[in-house]
Amino acid sequence: MVRPVHRGLVALAGTAMMIALAACGADSSTDDAGASDEPDLNAEVTITVSDLPPTEQAESRQAMLDKIADFEAAHPTITIDAQETKWAAETFNAMLAGGTLPIVTAVPFTEIQALASRGQATDLTDAVADSAAISALSPTVMESVTRDGRIYGVPYQAYTMGLVYNRGLFEEAGLDPDDPPQTWDDVRAAAKTITEQTGQPGFISMTASNTGGWVLSTMSYAFGGQMQEVSGDDVLASFAAPRTATTEALELLRAMRWEDESMGANFLLDIDDARNEFAAGRAGMFVHGADVYGDMVVNRGLPGEHYGVAPLPQSPDGIGTLGGGAIDIVSPNATPEQVAAAIKWIEYHRLGRLSDEEQAVTWAESRAADDLPVGTPELPIVDAAQYETYLGWIDSYINVPRDNYELYLSTVEDIPLVPEPPVKAQELYAALDPVVQAVLTREDADLAELLDQAERNVNDFIAAG
Amino acid sequence: MAMTARPDLPAEPGQRPRRRRRRSPVTWARSGGMASVVFLLPLLITFGFFSWLPVAKSLVLSMQRTNLVTAAEWVGLANFERVLADPLLWTAVWNTTWFTLLAVVVGFPVPVMLAVFIGELRKSRGLASALAYIPVILPPVVAVLLWKAYYNPGPDGLFNTVLGWFGLGPFPWLQDGTMAMPSIVVQATWAGFGGTTIIYLAALRSVRTDLYEAAEVDGASIWRRVWHITLPQLRGIMLIMLLLQLIGTFQVFTEPFIMTGGGPENRTTTILMLIYNYAFIAGDYGKATALSLMLAGVLSIVSAVYLFLTRTWSKT
Repeated sequence: MVRPVHRGLVALAGTAMMIALAACGADSSTDDAGASDEPDLNAEVTITVSDLPPTEQAESRQAMLDKIADFEAAHPTITIDAQETKWAAETFNAMLAGGTLPIVTAVPFTEIQALASRGQATDLTDAVADSAAISALSPTVMESVTRDGRIYGVPYQAYTMGLVYNRGLFEEAGLDPDDPPQTWDDVRAAAKTITEQTGQPGFISMTASNTGGWVLSTMSYAFGGQMQEVSGDDVLASFAAPRTATTEALELLRAMRWEDESMGANFLLDIDDARNEFAAGRAGMFVHGADVYGDMVVNRGLPGEHYGVAPLPQSPDGIGTLGGGAIDIVSPNATPEQVAAAIKWIEYHRLGRLSDEEQAVTWAESRAADDLPVGTPELPIVDAAQYETYLGWIDSYINVPRDNYELYLSTVEDIPLVPEPPVKAQELYAALDPVVQAVLTREDADLAELLDQAERNVNDFIAAG
Repeated sequence: MAMTARPDLPAEPGQRPRRRRRRSPVTWARSGGMASVVFLLPLLITFGFFSWLPVAKSLVLSMQRTNLVTAAEWVGLANFERVLADPLLWTAVWNTTWFTLLAVVVGFPVPVMLAVFIGELRKSRGLASALAYIPVILPPVVAVLLWKAYYNPGPDGLFNTVLGWFGLGPFPWLQDGTMAMPSIVVQATWAGFGGTTIIYLAALRSVRTDLYEAAEVDGASIWRRVWHITLPQLRGIMLIMLLLQLIGTFQVFTEPFIMTGGGPENRTTTILMLIYNYAFIAGDYGKATALSLMLAGVLSIVSAVYLFLTRTWSKT
């Protein structure tokens, strides 16, 4: 029997539960922000924006604050509230649910399709329709932010996946750092030479936290295969047929690992581990986004002159490479007025430096003053002529040896940019991680069986919706 | 002995049993009942807001499909069905069970033995306790990262270097499907034994010293004293610590997340890692909370069964 005092507690707990349930119900009934409504352009509006540089980067921080002041002067009805918030998968949903996600948030390319599919990024198609700056962006890059013909973000920085290599180790191994490998056979031979001559792994591959599948997908493109087949509305994973580009990519890894022993001993590497290994001079090459110079040199201590990047080698059937970069999205909680203000801010803040000399110079000057790299390899998001003009404006502030990336820079626009797998990309990458790990840790790994199992898992995920 | 009659005591034989008189709310309030409620309120509000509300929310969330922006869609038990259909679930269940078994077999006796050993020291008992506790002071992520470096599979890794002096290795540690989980268990045991040892040491102080003196007089060896006096006296606390360890190890996350990311080939993917992946990689909070609730349910049942089976053992 429940004693009276216990009854009271039970009643209180029950009440608390009911209040909680009622609160949940109230949350659930929140209406979708009416992004498609016509905005009142004369209304006072405040927007929060992410990625205010921290106080350690004083010049860059001040440059952004000055830019905000200029923008607000030119747009008296708009107030910008800049925050140091940065994208993180672990905090994004909590901030979104709690209403603290900045109205404008920068996210990586890898996330945009999933965010769009979940309705967690505002559909900007109508809002950007009249924007000359956004219309001028490269169609290839814009494709990355497009889903079912609708635009969900504004790319402001892009790169392609390339072959990142250590020029120091190349020299030590007797290889010419100005003549990086251009075929996969070259990659294998160079990796073997580096290991033989320096004792360091010639080639490493990320394998954990979905990066194994991410890199394997990139290599599959380079060997001529897509990861999914799209037929109307139906999408199916398609990397396990009897012999596919994915199989070829894995065979290459297997040969380097078990025949040449040129991949070292550590085969559980996520993106941080791989960058650490590379920056510490313990990796000759790896497949990564070409934009990693800043992180390698500024954060991880790689000598700047050791950073090399080459285009991702393509087999004769290669269809291109995966792209990456940064995209500004607008929070789905934004009002139509905030969406309109956000687009103006993104045009000014992110794209202004590509079309306005003063902004370009201020941006480059402040970065150089903070010892941050200026002029790192990237995929131009505007047309070639405009990009050359922009490079001319910032030329005196360029502080990275662009000659070292000559091959990458001269071919970056020739290699087609292939988008991420259209459906459940992260799940696909997660399913392929164990496949890459198996190939690198078990000599007898059965590729066909592993790929078949992974493909079934991905298709189950797709079918489950 | 004289006894004073009290109205709530059973009636004397031959008299009709008197029903306990219930106090009216007014009487209860006048006699200071409100004060207890006032003192209880902050606790109730705090628990309600930070413990019960999230639990209630997760119950709701587990039956919804939501993007946390638009109105959530009620899907009934579909999230549970999707979790049960995930082929990785049973891998994670097995891995977690394997980790728990290993952690109990390796990790449970270590602090008991260490506490008994430290308890037997005549000098430097405080220093020994402090040394045992040092691993607990290190932030978990730092400790795990350190061990990850120690487990470097190359011949220049710390452990492989030391073993190399004796002509052993190099071992792949975390890179090998068979070795990865035991390697994680060793680290987890190292990280956790200090705190448990301190608890056992405190419990040892309650062991009656006259029992030891009597045993010594009877000529009992140190091992017989430990076996026949110390361990039986500690069994109550050992029972609780084992239960806490079972619950704690079933929720293992940090170590495999940082050291292996669940690899190689998902051999160290645990249930909590699966929950993390559902929530933060796939953004599927319905599925994540469904699996969380399933785990909570299983742990509750395991705890209840454990307490039921050991109820006689815990009574000294």
